[in-house]
Amino acid sequence: MAKKGLGYYIVVRALMIIPTILILYTIVFILLRILPGNPILAVVGTRNIPPEQLKHLEHLAGLDKPLIIQYFDYLWNVLHGNFGVTLASPMGVPVINYIATRFPATLELTIWGFTFSVIIGLVTGMIAALKRGSKIDTGMRIYSIVAYTLFIPWFGMILQYVFGVILGVLPTGGRIDPRISLQTITGLYVLDSILTGNIPALISSIKHLILPGLTLGIVLSGAYTRLVRNNMVDVLSMDFIRSYKARGIPRYKITWYALKNAFIPVITLMGLQFAILLGGAILTETTFSWPGMGTFIVDRIEYRDYNSIQGAIIFFAFFVAVISLIVDVIYALLDPRIKY
Amino acid sequence: MKLKALSKQVAIAVIIAIIIVGVAAGYFAFQAGKSPASPTSTSSSLPSSPSATTSESSTPSSSPTSSASSTEAKLASEIVIGVTDKVTDLDPANAYDFFTWEVLYNVMEGLVKYKPGTTEIVPGLAENWTVSSDGKVWTFVLRPNLKFSDGTLLTAKDVVRSIERVMKIKGDPSWLVTSFVEKVVAKDDRTVVFYLKQPTSFFLALVATPPYFPVNPKYPEDKIASDATWGGAGPYRIVKFVRDVELVLEANPYYYGPKPKTEKIIIKFYRDASALRLALESGEIDIAWRTLRPTDIQYFKQQSGFKVIEVPGSFIRYICFNTKVSPTNNLLVRKALAAAIDRQQIIDTVLLGAGEPLYSLVPKGLWSHIDAFKIYGDGNIELAKKLLEQAGYSKDKPLEITLWYTPTHYGDTEADIAQLIAQQWEKTGLVKVTIKSAEWSTYVSYIRKGQLQAYLLGWYPDYLDPDDYLTPFLDSNANGWSGTGFANETVNKLLEKAQTIVDQQERAKIYEEVQKILAEQVPYVPLFQGKLFIVTRSDIGGIIPSPTMILMYNTIYKVQG
Amino acid sequence: METRIKPKSLLSPLAKQLTSRLPGRGLLLAGLAIVLLFIGMAVFAPWISPYDPTKMVDKPFLPPSLKHLMGTNRIGQDVFSRIVWGSRIVLYVVFSATLLSMAIGIPLGLLSGYRGGKIDRVLSMFMDSMYSFPALILAIAIAAVLGPSPMNTAIAIAFVYIPTYFRMIRGQTLSIKNQLFIDAAHALGIPDKRIMLRHILPNLAHTILVVFSLSVADAILTEAGLSFLGLSVTPPTPDWGYDLRVGQPFFLNGQWWLVFFPGLSVMLLAMGFALIGEALSERLSLAQSI
Repeated sequence: MAKKGLGYYIVVRALMIIPTILILYTIVFILLRILPGNPILAVVGTRNIPPEQLKHLEHLAGLDKPLIIQYFDYLWNVLHGNFGVTLASPMGVPVINYIATRFPATLELTIWGFTFSVIIGLVTGMIAALKRGSKIDTGMRIYSIVAYTLFIPWFGMILQYVFGVILGVLPTGGRIDPRISLQTITGLYVLDSILTGNIPALISSIKHLILPGLTLGIVLSGAYTRLVRNNMVDVLSMDFIRSYKARGIPRYKITWYALKNAFIPVITLMGLQFAILLGGAILTETTFSWPGMGTFIVDRIEYRDYNSIQGAIIFFAFFVAVISLIVDVIYALLDPRIKY
Repeated sequence: MKLKALSKQVAIAVIIAIIIVGVAAGYFAFQAGKSPASPTSTSSSLPSSPSATTSESSTPSSSPTSSASSTEAKLASEIVIGVTDKVTDLDPANAYDFFTWEVLYNVMEGLVKYKPGTTEIVPGLAENWTVSSDGKVWTFVLRPNLKFSDGTLLTAKDVVRSIERVMKIKGDPSWLVTSFVEKVVAKDDRTVVFYLKQPTSFFLALVATPPYFPVNPKYPEDKIASDATWGGAGPYRIVKFVRDVELVLEANPYYYGPKPKTEKIIIKFYRDASALRLALESGEIDIAWRTLRPTDIQYFKQQSGFKVIEVPGSFIRYICFNTKVSPTNNLLVRKALAAAIDRQQIIDTVLLGAGEPLYSLVPKGLWSHIDAFKIYGDGNIELAKKLLEQAGYSKDKPLEITLWYTPTHYGDTEADIAQLIAQQWEKTGLVKVTIKSAEWSTYVSYIRKGQLQAYLLGWYPDYLDPDDYLTPFLDSNANGWSGTGFANETVNKLLEKAQTIVDQQERAKIYEEVQKILAEQVPYVPLFQGKLFIVTRSDIGGIIPSPTMILMYNTIYKVQG
Repeated sequence: METRIKPKSLLSPLAKQLTSRLPGRGLLLAGLAIVLLFIGMAVFAPWISPYDPTKMVDKPFLPPSLKHLMGTNRIGQDVFSRIVWGSRIVLYVVFSATLLSMAIGIPLGLLSGYRGGKIDRVLSMFMDSMYSFPALILAIAIAAVLGPSPMNTAIAIAFVYIPTYFRMIRGQTLSIKNQLFIDAAHALGIPDKRIMLRHILPNLAHTILVVFSLSVADAILTEAGLSFLGLSVTPPTPDWGYDLRVGQPFFLNGQWWLVFFPGLSVMLLAMGFALIGEALSERLSLAQSI
């Protein structure tokens, strides 16, 4: 395999996405059906509905079919790009509609959290590496551990309280001021407001993004701090760097070179972090009332809305797989030592 | 170990940790010290709202239609209302929850409607109506020249089509039509005749519900249109709907009645109460409606610049006992557990006052209500002990019981209610309670299968009539959903009889008798009836709290300036 | 028997850390101190905790005072007592979860790495699929299905950490498998099972210890996350994440102690384990492989 080249590697990696999704879908499908209760019951609840009508509703939702048929029906639909319709209030809305509005919200939050975490991580890591062995280095090291162990809802609430309630400078929930109307193109509000030249929307959506983005960013930055520091330290202590120094090459150039080299493992971590980030987004979304995929899945679990949960998970899995594929490919391109 | 050996890192780590903790704690302590000062100073700003707290007294005195006319020129054209509820399904053939119904009440109207702030039924799209002597044929005459909100003419045919549509689609609330209506006919352009399956004394209360609302002809004949915004012939019409984000209404220019006070109503959807509360504080919304938490209500009562309006609730909370399984199949046990409950403690501690003790399934304020469960008293540990001892339980052999609740469906406080009830039962010293919870769909499934012993539930009425608070609970042909397995021939007969009698006083007598049997048999223990709160910024007026728990937007206004 | 590599004690790296003056020793000590503090709290909860954590012992919303060190909560329970007893639940859930995922992940990883072939491919594919997916979302789905109880939460968490152990162990096994002493063991005709258990596993002890402390730190945050979403334990069982969740609305009213202390406990305990893991991994220069 090792000699067949990058193209082959990409194809194989891409094909691996299929079993990944199948496995996750199967796990979720089984989990959802183990327990008593179904989406129709969740909607009907304690309402006094005649049993025949209950049967009728279950039939409409296709819940009277054998499980194996339900399993393949849904799979078949997904293959055709149809994620089914919601089974619990509201009933009959295509799940893809939800994904279309919820996913960009999560993506936008994730991108910002990601950006914050990489920037903070690079800066703190670089400082630590340059001041290696000093108190600052130790401080940054402790920062990376503390950041990693911050409990997102707790940290988020404190930020909310300080910036939202006490100082009143930043909104604490939602994506945009409700009175601003924004034409959505991509669903990423910041991008949309730039595309449509809508300045108030741009300001509002950025303001809404700061706190949740920062919460997520700080919590995840710890890993980068450590990684950047260690890599830069390694690079800076290499022989050729020392010889550069000896030749009097300016310090900032050396730093830049070291930073560039330290970046390769950071990219790998970015790929891994992305999945963690999406998971952490659930807690961030819950804390900041962010209408994303995480809150969507949690909401739908309460209703046991099979189609929504399955659809969201499959979509999520696909997205994560594609991202990690891209990261692997970038990594392979950047680092010639890697054998694929 | 030598102290010196502790490396620098530990020292720094500890110092940083202490600084973080110290700064944060100090900061919060400072904040905590600040807040209690506010309530006394600001309570004076409130007297305007208490007048609206009781539904009946408020309407005549503050009738907003007349009082507001003088300030007309200064009224804002737009009001933003925030909610945490969701619009489930904008199609009345399938919508079956309070908030969605509220939206439907504002963008549609039925043949009859509730007089604002009361449960009294008054003419809506129909001018008048008559009922045949056997109580089975109801004839309604529509107002002349009615139009839908897009200008299309509205005739008796549309009324018939809409109701037949509900019967055909068989959505969740369709039983409100199908269980009672045999057929519905348009006699001419303005006359609609309902032929009922059996005499139904509370038919007008049914006609006031959304499944009976005439809908725009654009609604497909036999399909649910969940996101449809065509509406009907109500005071408002929908101009924009983004699910879970916002719903924008504007005054319906074709409405027969008076023009709404505010041209545009924007409803913003929030994920939870904290977000809703922050939105009201930041001025993002003018009115916070369903549903803030009791703590938030307390908070706003102490803040200046806000009004808190109380809405009498028609929803009730209660404990169910499964009368088919041990130990709750023992009447003595059920009675003992009913006696040990201290309703006021739950209301004060958990609900922070947002409720009223309830001693019957029929809520206070609805005719025929009696305090049937007062015979056990409240927190009556002595009686409970006596009954439990009679049932053969002792300190060494206590009653073991599992109390179930569901964590999200009735809000965050549910777990606290369960904990308090468990404590109250355990106070007898003869009961050992295990608390368990299950997520809503599972919970319902367990209940329907009769697998639980004691469990917390709540009831939102479908139509405001004592029948809806008794028949679904106690009639053994109708209470399968409740999992209590309660069956009593006398009760069945009484309830059926009451449905056919039109005379209210005679019906009331029957319902009182049923409530007495309920208190003796204890398949349910009523706990409290809820109160709802509307919090507005102080420039908002014209809100009429109603026991229907539906907020009509057309009377609300915002003073500008 | 002559070829047998002497299995090192699991604790040996820890012991070495404590006695040698290597960098990271401070971190290790700090971490150990925090962890021991919480373990002590859990073990001696009945003596430390001044009140019954499940009972209403005083008026609701009392701010911290000498009588109630961390105040009382919305239904008059003593917050400090709930923190103390809560450490039991957290440690119980997290340790059972981690041990459970080790018990499944390690043997599978060993088998997969050692045997290779079809088993390896199938297992790896399965584990990689699970690993690539956000752990919390999967845990939420499992916890929701199983229903709230400490053991169920532990199972949900265990499930999502199996791939972590599997991948780590498999990778290490692959690299050890080709070393000389294993070949020698083969040549001597020692059965595979014995090679795996006696020769490979002991060499993985250090790795396991590092992954253990880091995954415990992570699991603490996951447990708190699950209970924050209302999917872990049933009240009145004291639980930090749950208390944080129900404290949120009051927090914004200024009753900071309802949220501040539970959140701080989550962070400190997770930090304790993370410090240990960090120090050990540095010592074993495994930092990049986590």
